[in-house]
Amino acid sequence: MTVGSRLKQTLAGLKGAEGTLRLYAQQARHEKTRAVFKEAVATTGQVIEDLEKRLSILEFEEPQYKGY
Amino acid sequence: MQEWLEILLRSVLLYLLIFAAIRYMGKRHVARMTPFAFVNYVVIAAITSLLVLKIIPNLIAGLVALFVWVSFPVLLEHLALRSKVIHDLLHGRETVLIKQGKVMEENLKQVRLSGEELLKSLRTKNVFNTADVEFAVLEATGEVNVLLKSDKMPVTPHDIEWKVVPQTEPQTVILDGNILNDALTEMGLNHNWLHTQLVAAGVSLDNIFIAQADSNGELYMDLFDDSIQLPQAKVRELLYANLEKSQADLMSYALETQDSEAKNMYSANSKQLENLIQKLRPYLLR
Repeated sequence: MTVGSRLKQTLAGLKGAEGTLRLYAQQARHEKTRAVFKEAVATTGQVIEDLEKRLSILEFEEPQYKGY
Repeated sequence: MQEWLEILLRSVLLYLLIFAAIRYMGKRHVARMTPFAFVNYVVIAAITSLLVLKIIPNLIAGLVALFVWVSFPVLLEHLALRSKVIHDLLHGRETVLIKQGKVMEENLKQVRLSGEELLKSLRTKNVFNTADVEFAVLEATGEVNVLLKSDKMPVTPHDIEWKVVPQTEPQTVILDGNILNDALTEMGLNHNWLHTQLVAAGVSLDNIFIAQADSNGELYMDLFDDSIQLPQAKVRELLYANLEKSQADLMSYALETQDSEAKNMYSANSKQLENLIQKLRPYLLR
């Protein structure tokens, strides 16, 4: 497995986690709980953004692995 | 008028009247009543039964007496709410029985409580060792309440500095196979959500006796058919595991990569996720 495809797997996992966190942020009835989950969504969003940037660099360097 | 007819009419009239009067007098529990309040209820009951059976022939006179015994306590309660003096007169005051771990013998004598009775009251509070008691008080209702010494108190999350998550009460969303709409809207959920959950669990609506949604939006179900094993909802644990795995991944990428900029990015994000996991731990794992 190349670095790129492993990175994609991690990204997919993180995106799934972000979705679930966003759902919890919607469902939570306590103000405090909601704030914690919202913050978690923001943090994972940032991490995902950074990883996507890195992924595009990798794909630029090794175009033969693009899309996998 | 025939005798039986009169008794019937009196019974019906007083039944309704006393029912309304007792309701009006309030919700205080019988076991938490002061002795006088108990006497008051007994007097009302006695007057009523005497009236019903025509032992007091004059209905009006009886009703006047009833009126006094119903309205006086209500009136005094109202006054007691305003004035501490009247409140103490009416309800009596509590008596301290044990203070700083020492039994107050004079106070015991004053309320005519023997040592045996004190021990019995402590035992009903599950205190068998008098040495464990810091403070005990005899309420006006005759109940003994106990404060244990701080090293004998049950441990709370606060004591062990354990972070816990605020919880709201669960809502019963299905009862006897019927969806309770009020409870669903209270949670901010709808029928679609409920049907999705039911499909995911693989059960039909009419097989459910009780379903409760907790503050996490997870559904607990009890089925009529007890032979069906329901899968336990593990979404939170999975989410936690997922985050931990991602964090570990980032850490290994940081170790593997040669590019120093990427290394910094990976380790910074790994750190961020680690903090996040720490923060979410009490919410996701319990």
